[in-house]
Amino acid sequence: MSGSSQSVLTTGDPGHAVAEHNPVAGLAHDSRGGISNPILGMLLFICSEIMFFSGLFAAYFSVRASTTPWPPVEPADIAEHFNLHSEPWFAAILTVILVVSSVTCQLGVWAIRRDDRTGFIRNIGVTVVLGIVFLIGQAYDYATLGFGIGDTTFGTTFYTLTGFHGAHVFGGVVMLSVVLYRGLAGQFSSRHHDAVEASSLYWHFVDVVWIALFSTLYIL
Amino acid sequence: MATTTLTPAASTYRSGLYEWITTTDHKKIGILYLLNSFLFFFIGGLLALGVRTELAIPGLQLLTNEGLYNQFFTMHGTVMIFLFIIPILAGFGNYVVPLQIGAPDMAFPRINALSFWMLPLGGILLLMGFLTGGAASAGWTSYAPLSEDRIGAAVNDAAGSGQDLWIMALVLIGTSSILGSVNFLVTIFKMRAPGMTLFRMPILVWTVLVTSVLVLMATPVITSALIMLFIDRNYGGHFFDPATGGNAILWQNVFWFYSHPAVYVMVLPAMGMISEILPVFSRKPLFGYRAFVFATAGIGALGFSVWAHHMFTTGAVYLPFFSLMTFLIAVPTGVKMFNWIFTLFRGKLTFSTPLLFALGFLSMFLIGGINGAFSAAVPVDFALHDTYWVVAHLHYVLFGGSVFGVMAGLYYWFPKMTGRMLGEGLGKVQFVLMFIGFNLTFFPMHQLGLAGMPRRIADYAANAGWNDLNLLATVGGFMIGASMIPLLWNVFISLRAGKIAGDDPWEANTLEWATSSPPPPYNFDRLPEIRSERPLFDLRHGRTANH
Amino acid sequence: MSSTPGSRPSTTAIIGWLIAAAVIVALAVLLVLNGAAVWNSFFPPEAKSVQGQEIRNLYDIVFVIAAVIFLIVEGLIVWTVIRYRRKPGDDELPAQTHGNNLAEAIWTIVPTIIVIFLFVISWQSLNKIETVSATPDLRVRAVAGQFQWSFEYLPADADATTKALFTVNAPLGPDGGLVLPAGQTTHLYLRSTDVIHAFYVPQFLFKRDVVPQKNPLHDNQFDLDIPASGAGQTYRGQCAELCGVGHRIMVFEVRALAPAEFQAWYDKQVAAVNATAPPAPSGGQAGPPVNVTAQGVKFLEPTLTAPAAGFTFHFDNKDAGTPHDLDIVASDGKKVFDSKEFPGPAVQDLPVPPIPAGTYQFICSIHPTLMTGTLTVQ
Ligand code: HEA
Ligand code: HEA
Ligand code: CUA
Ligand SMILES: [Cu+2]
Repeated sequence: MSGSSQSVLTTGDPGHAVAEHNPVAGLAHDSRGGISNPILGMLLFICSEIMFFSGLFAAYFSVRASTTPWPPVEPADIAEHFNLHSEPWFAAILTVILVVSSVTCQLGVWAIRRDDRTGFIRNIGVTVVLGIVFLIGQAYDYATLGFGIGDTTFGTTFYTLTGFHGAHVFGGVVMLSVVLYRGLAGQFSSRHHDAVEASSLYWHFVDVVWIALFSTLYIL
Repeated sequence: MATTTLTPAASTYRSGLYEWITTTDHKKIGILYLLNSFLFFFIGGLLALGVRTELAIPGLQLLTNEGLYNQFFTMHGTVMIFLFIIPILAGFGNYVVPLQIGAPDMAFPRINALSFWMLPLGGILLLMGFLTGGAASAGWTSYAPLSEDRIGAAVNDAAGSGQDLWIMALVLIGTSSILGSVNFLVTIFKMRAPGMTLFRMPILVWTVLVTSVLVLMATPVITSALIMLFIDRNYGGHFFDPATGGNAILWQNVFWFYSHPAVYVMVLPAMGMISEILPVFSRKPLFGYRAFVFATAGIGALGFSVWAHHMFTTGAVYLPFFSLMTFLIAVPTGVKMFNWIFTLFRGKLTFSTPLLFALGFLSMFLIGGINGAFSAAVPVDFALHDTYWVVAHLHYVLFGGSVFGVMAGLYYWFPKMTGRMLGEGLGKVQFVLMFIGFNLTFFPMHQLGLAGMPRRIADYAANAGWNDLNLLATVGGFMIGASMIPLLWNVFISLRAGKIAGDDPWEANTLEWATSSPPPPYNFDRLPEIRSERPLFDLRHGRTANH
Repeated sequence: MSSTPGSRPSTTAIIGWLIAAAVIVALAVLLVLNGAAVWNSFFPPEAKSVQGQEIRNLYDIVFVIAAVIFLIVEGLIVWTVIRYRRKPGDDELPAQTHGNNLAEAIWTIVPTIIVIFLFVISWQSLNKIETVSATPDLRVRAVAGQFQWSFEYLPADADATTKALFTVNAPLGPDGGLVLPAGQTTHLYLRSTDVIHAFYVPQFLFKRDVVPQKNPLHDNQFDLDIPASGAGQTYRGQCAELCGVGHRIMVFEVRALAPAEFQAWYDKQVAAVNATAPPAPSGGQAGPPVNVTAQGVKFLEPTLTAPAAGFTFHFDNKDAGTPHDLDIVASDGKKVFDSKEFPGPAVQDLPVPPIPAGTYQFICSIHPTLMTGTLTVQ
C-alpha cells in the first residue's frame, strides 16, 4: 500500500485544490435532457404518497373485511348515520369540485407553457378557490355527519382516510397559493415554470386519491 | 431548485460551528450524519450493556423492575435501527455518492440539510420518554394492541407519553428517510458526470439507488401505520383493537411490510461499501459487476414479498408462499457472496484495516444469512421464533454485517473526509477486540434459543441451564464496548497528527479519489474521462489493463 | 502465516494467529470439557410431542445442509484470504478477471436447487404438523391474559365458542397446569383476553400466538399429541410474545398423564363442578372486614392484620379484565384459605373461618410471583 500515492489529476495538496472559478460550469451536469430535477423529485415524492395512502386503504379493507355487516349496525343510534351510500350527493358535489379544479389547474399549466400569464393566473386562482371550497365543504360535512372518529371502526377509518386526504388538499392549496403568489410577481415563463408543473402534478394526485376515496366510501 | 450560486469563494468553506449548522454541502452533511449516528450508537450500545448486565446472572440486579428492562431493549432496538444503522448508511451515501458519480452536490442541497436535522430532533423526542415517566416499552416492533395500552399503565407500561413520543420520532425519522431517498434518486438519475452511464456506476451507488427505492416504497407504509396507532391511542380509534372490531394482526402486516424491506435498507449500502473495498485491496475488479447489480435489484424486489416470515406463528398468513419467497432471497444474496469471494480469489490482498473489517463482514454475514434461512423453514421457525436464536440472527446480519461494513467504510473513507489516515495498529486492535467480542456475545445466543430461552425477558430461572451462555454473552458485550476505545482514540489522535493521506492513499478506482482530500466545495476541478466502472484504474494503468 | 525467510511477521499475521488461536483454544476447551454437550447444544431438545418430533427431523436436515454450506463457503473465504495475500515487494497487477458466466450460473442454480429442496421438505412437514383430527380425544381452550394462563376443558363436540365444562386456573403446580392424556390427541384453542401472547413449550419445539379476536371462531387452534411414553412427565411452558411487564412470569406447566389416570382426574374435576356449591356462609358468621385491593397486578396493602376469630376479606379487584384470587398460605406452605378468582373491576366479600394466630402469607395464586403480602393473625 503506497500511503501517499497521489492522484494523477490534482496536485494532492488539500489546501490548494479549491477552484477559483466555478468548478461546475464546465461539467455537463444537470443537462441530461428530459425531465427536470424538481419535477422528477415531485414524481418520486408522489410515489411515496401513493404508498402512504395504500397503507391507509389496506387498513380500511382489512377492517372492513373482518366486520360483518359493513357498515356496522351497532350501536343503533349512531349506526344509522353510517349509510353513506344512500346519501352520496354532498360528497358527489365535492368530487365534481375537485375534478373541475384539476382541469383548471391543468389549463393554468398549459397557459404558462404558452407564456399566457393572465390565463395562468386566472386558472390557478380558480383552482385555489375551488380547493378552499372543497375544504370548507368537507368541514361542513364533518360537522353534520352524526358520527365521530371513535364510533366503531367505521368512524375511525372514515375520518382517518378523508382527514388525511383533506390534509393533502390543504397542502396542495398552500403549494398552489405560493405558485400563484410567485406568478403574480412574474416569476414564471414558458421556459421557467418547474414549480408550476410540480404543484399541478401534486394537485392531480390529490384529486385521484379523492376519486378513489369517494368510490370506496360512497359507492363500493 | 438547487441553490448552486455559481462561483463560490473558497473562503466560504470555513468550519465554524455556524457553518456546520447551516451547511448544505453534501460532504459536511454526510459527516454530520456520521457523527450523529455514532453518538446514537453509543447510546444504543450503553442500553445494550444494561440489558446484558441484567441478564448476566439470574435474578434481577441492575434494573429494579421489568418495565424498565422492557424500555431498555425497546429503546436499544429503536435507537440502533432508526438512529444508528439506517442514518449512518445514508451518511456514507451522502458523502460518497455525489463524489462517485462526479456531481458537485446532491440534487436538493437544502432538502438534504432538512433530512439530516430531522434526525437529532427525532432522537431527542424518542429519548425524552425516559424523562417523562417511561420510554416506549413494547419492543422496537411495538405490536398492537400491547402498544395501544387499553388495560392500564401499571400492567403493561405502554401508557405514558413514551409510546407517543416513539410514534412521533419514527414519523419524523421516516419523513427524513423519504426526503433523503428522493434526493438520492434524483441525484443518481440526473447528476451523473458525462460518461458515467448506469452500468459504469460504482456498486455503492447502485446499492444506494436500490435502497432509496425501498425507502420510497416502504417507509410511507409504516408512516401510515404509525399514524393509525397514534389515532387509536389518542383519538379513540379502533384500527388495532379487536375488542372493538379492529384487527390486531393488521399492525404486524403493515409494520413488516415496511420492516422487512427495511432490513435490506440496513444492509445493502454496507454491501455496497464492501464491494468498493474488496476490489481495491485485492487489486482486481469486482467479479461479476452486472450480476451484482441484478442481484441487488433482485433482493430489493423479493424483499417486498417476504414480510410475513416474521408472522409464521400468528396463524394468520399463508405460510408456503412466504416460506418459498424467503428461501429464494438467499439466492441473490448467495450470488453476491460468491462474487465477493471470487473478487478476492487470485487477487493480491493487502490486509489494511478496511479489508479486515470487510472480511469480517463476509464471514459474519454468512452466518447471519444462513441462520436466517433456518427460519424460512416454517416448522423450524415454530421452534425458533421469539427465542434468542432470532436475537442471534439479527445481530449477525446487523452487527456482523452492517456494523462491520460501517467500520470498513470508516477506515476506508476517513482519509478522504479528513485528509488524514487512521492508524493501522489501533485499527487492528479494534478489529480483533470487536471480532472476538462480537462472536462471544452473539454466538451463544443460538444455543440459548435452541434451549428455549425466549427473547425480551428480564430474568430467567437459575436452573433453566442458561447461566453460562448468558454470562459469556455479557462478557462479550463488554468486549465490544471496549473495542470502541481504540476506535475513539484512533480518531482523536489521527485528526491531530495522523499521516497525511494525499488524494488517493489506497490506489482506488472510483472518482472520489480523483479529487483532493478533503474535497473542495463542489468537489471537482476536473474530471477524468469515464469509460468503465473504474475510471481511476484506467487512468493509472491505461484502458488496456482493464481486460 | 508464512513470511519470506528473515522478514518479521506483520501485525496482520499476528492478528490472524491471535484470532485463530483464540478460536481453536476456545473450541478445544469446550470439546475437552464436554464434547457431547457442546454438540447437543446445536440442536433443540429432544421433542416430546409427535408434532415436535416432525419439527426436530426437519431441523436436523436443515442443520446439516446449513452446516455444509457454511463450512464450504467459510472455508473458501479463509483459504482465499490465506492463499492470495500479497507478498512483500510484489507490485505486479493480478489478472483482471471481470467475471465468468459459467461460474456465476453455477452459483445461482445450485443454491436455487437447494432452497427449493428445503422449501419442499419444510412444506411437507408443515402439512403434517398442521393436520388436525376431526375427532380429537380432548378439546381444551388455553386462555391467556396479562399475566396468567388458565385452561378450559371443553366437551367432546365443542367448537371455539363452546362454554367450558371446568377450568383449571392455576398454571403451575400439582393442582394446576395443562393436564393432558399421553398417547391421545388433544385439540387446543388459544384465546386471549387482552393483548397478543404466545403458547410456547420448548420441549414440543412449538409455539403459536394467542391473538385477541372478537370472533372466537378465528382463534388459533392446533392438535397436540404427546406419545404414550410421556405419561407422568411435566413440561415447562412460557409465554413467548412480549405482553407487558409481567411477560416473563407467564409460565405454565403441561402435565401428561396416562389415559386412565387422566380420566380419573378429569372425572374428579367434572364432579367438583357439578357438586352443588356449598351455601355461602351467612354474614353472621363473618368477622370484621379486612380491606384488600388489587391494582396493576399488585396488592396495594403489603401487610395486613386480622383477628384469629375469623374475619371477612373485603377484596377490591381494580384490574379490568384480569382475574385475581386471594389465598392464605401458612409458613409450611399449606393453604389455609382458598378463594375463587374473579375478574375486575369488582368487589367481593370473602368470609374467612377462624385460623390460629401467627404469621401467614396472602397471595394471588394466579400471579404468585407478583402478588404476595404478609398477614398477621392475632
Ligand atoms: C440487515 C438486516 C437483515 C438481513 C440482511 C436479514 C436477512 C434475512 N433474514 Fe432476517 N431479520 C432481521 C434482519 C435481517 N435479516 C431482523 C432485525 C429480524 C428480527 C426482527 C424482530 O423480530 O425483532 C429478522 C428476523 C428474521 C426472521 C423472523 C424470525 C422470527 O422472528 O421467527 C426470518 C424468517 O424467515 C428472517 C429471515 C431472513 C433471511 C432468509 C434473510 C436472507 O436475506 C439471508 C440471505 C443470505 C444467506 C442465506 C447467506 C449467503 C448465501 C449463500 C452463501 C448461498 C447459499 C445459501 C443457501 C442455499 C441457504 N429474518
Ligand atoms: C444495528 C443494530 C444493533 C446493534 C449494533 C446492536 C448491538 C448490541 N445488541 Fe442488540 N438489538 C437490536 C439491534 C442491534 N443491537 C435489535 C433490533 C434488537 C431487538 C429489540 C427488541 O426486541 O425490540 C436487539 C436486541 C438485543 C438483545 C435482546 C434483548 C431481549 O430480547 O431481551 C440483546 C441481549 O443481549 C442485545 C445485545 C446487544 C449488544 C450487547 C450489542 C453490542 O454490540 C453493543 C456494543 C456496545 C457499545 C457499542 C457501547 C460502546 C460505548 C461505550 C463503551 C461507552 C463509550 C461512551 C462514550 C464515548 C461517551 N440486543
Ligand atoms: Cu403473555 Cu408474554
Ligand atoms: Cu424479514
